[in-house]
Amino acid sequence: MIDVQKIRDDFPILNKKILNKKNLIYLDTAASAQKPQVVTDEINSFYSNNYANVSRGVHTLSVESTFKYEDARKRVQKFINAESEREIIFTKSATDSINLIANTFAEKYINEGDEIILSIMEHHSNIIPWFLIRDKYKCKILFANIDNDGNINEEHFESLINEKTKLVSITHLSNVFGTITNQKIINLCNNAGIPILLDGCQSAAHIPIDVKALGCDFYVFSGHKLYGPTGIGVLFGKEKLIEELPPYQGGGGMIADVSTEGATYTDLPAKFEAGTPPLVQAYGLGVAIDYVNKLEMSKISEYELELTKYALNKMQELDFIDIHGENNNKHSIISFNLEKIHSHEVSSYLDVEGVAIRAGHHCCQPLMKQMKLNATARVSFGIYNTIEEIDAFISALKNCRDFFKK
Amino acid sequence: MNDLIKELYQEIILDHGQDPRNFGECNPHNKSADGHNPLCGDNLKLTFFVNQDDIIEDIKFTGEGCAISLASASLMTEKLKGLEISVAEEIFKDFAKLVSGSSDDLKILNEEDSLYALKGVGGFPMRVKCATMAWHAFKEALKN
Repeated sequence: MIDVQKIRDDFPILNKKILNKKNLIYLDTAASAQKPQVVTDEINSFYSNNYANVSRGVHTLSVESTFKYEDARKRVQKFINAESEREIIFTKSATDSINLIANTFAEKYINEGDEIILSIMEHHSNIIPWFLIRDKYKCKILFANIDNDGNINEEHFESLINEKTKLVSITHLSNVFGTITNQKIINLCNNAGIPILLDGCQSAAHIPIDVKALGCDFYVFSGHKLYGPTGIGVLFGKEKLIEELPPYQGGGGMIADVSTEGATYTDLPAKFEAGTPPLVQAYGLGVAIDYVNKLEMSKISEYELELTKYALNKMQELDFIDIHGENNNKHSIISFNLEKIHSHEVSSYLDVEGVAIRAGHHCCQPLMKQMKLNATARVSFGIYNTIEEIDAFISALKNCRDFFKK
Repeated sequence: MNDLIKELYQEIILDHGQDPRNFGECNPHNKSADGHNPLCGDNLKLTFFVNQDDIIEDIKFTGEGCAISLASASLMTEKLKGLEISVAEEIFKDFAKLVSGSSDDLKILNEEDSLYALKGVGGFPMRVKCATMAWHAFKEALKN
């Protein structure tokens, strides 16, 4: 059982008063999670006690630093149940991870006329890298439709797959609807022999991840949504696939030998980690993973699902709230509109009551255009949220409606 | 009720947000520009007609956005209609100060102006872009 009060004590920011009055109710974890004290303490301690560049020097500090960096890689590997540490590449963000795959995969495998399948509900970070590839290699980007309940339409998705399909890149847990991608979608790709990238930005923080059981070929996520620091992202790629890919960026740390004639490249994972990596951030992510592991991801997931269902029920009771993609397959994220009131108004109103929610297009403009919405409001939950906070949010929604109704 | 919210959403803002004035396209027009807030997706199209004496004879806008951006555009068109371009540009300078929370040394705008109602935006730094979107489109149109 999750002891949420005890967890809250680990997050100093939750004591903050908004506009010097209201208790902070942070319902924007999907944008970025708050950090437990242990993460920030350990980061400080790393800088104060162990810091030096990694994988370069032979002195003590360099060894300590390298050990901590590589240890973080092991933690990530175990966290998502990857086969080997060689399959874990540290990047600066999930966006960086997707760009890495887009560029290297395209260079190796994409030719004019080839097709890449995304879904219409992708975040811009899983659209724009592919648009850039399309422009460069003259391939096609196809978008799978979604149903009204916020799930990818399986029939439409299947109809897009053909012999020209080279890659599928889709969200694992929608940052707009909170829906979890159906395993059937992944199986369809596996059966057709098409590599699939899962964007795990949201799922990594809310549900246990087992990349082997999922059967995905690539999986990306960022540290900051998983209670870790900013500036660190992860790319998981099946060893057989990523070892065939060309280097992404050139620089120190990714070479085997360099002469004035050229260079040979080092082995995985360093081959994709040119330059000094975000080593302290990687360590911070490792600490965050430890923190999450202690609480147990399955219990976190269960608790957040409880919060989500409670909030959904309460919101459904309000006849002025329109929930987007209504279904029972939502996890930790609910997007909505409050009658015709723009989500900016809702967010500003809630802000002065201490409630932090997201307003806008959530970096999902193609989806918003399809839903014929200019913007929506979104609440999202993390391990530190409580039922009482949801009650306060519901009450703030009512006040907001009363205020703008007059 | 929180004072900041009351200050932000004064009666006149809610009124203009729900029922924007000068909504539509100005025909004929010789100046136009699009305003866009890429962070939230709000957008507008501003059209106006400037005569040979540099007077804004007519000005209208269309678009979608929050109450602040719509009310700001609506109030801006009301204010600018009939004014000389150079005066309008001075007003923009005042307005930018006003919505950024510094209303001390305004040259033209004063509390009597309906635009003054947007002063409350100063308490919400993330909303300044909503309030200035129409004005930036106005400046952009003058360049074209």
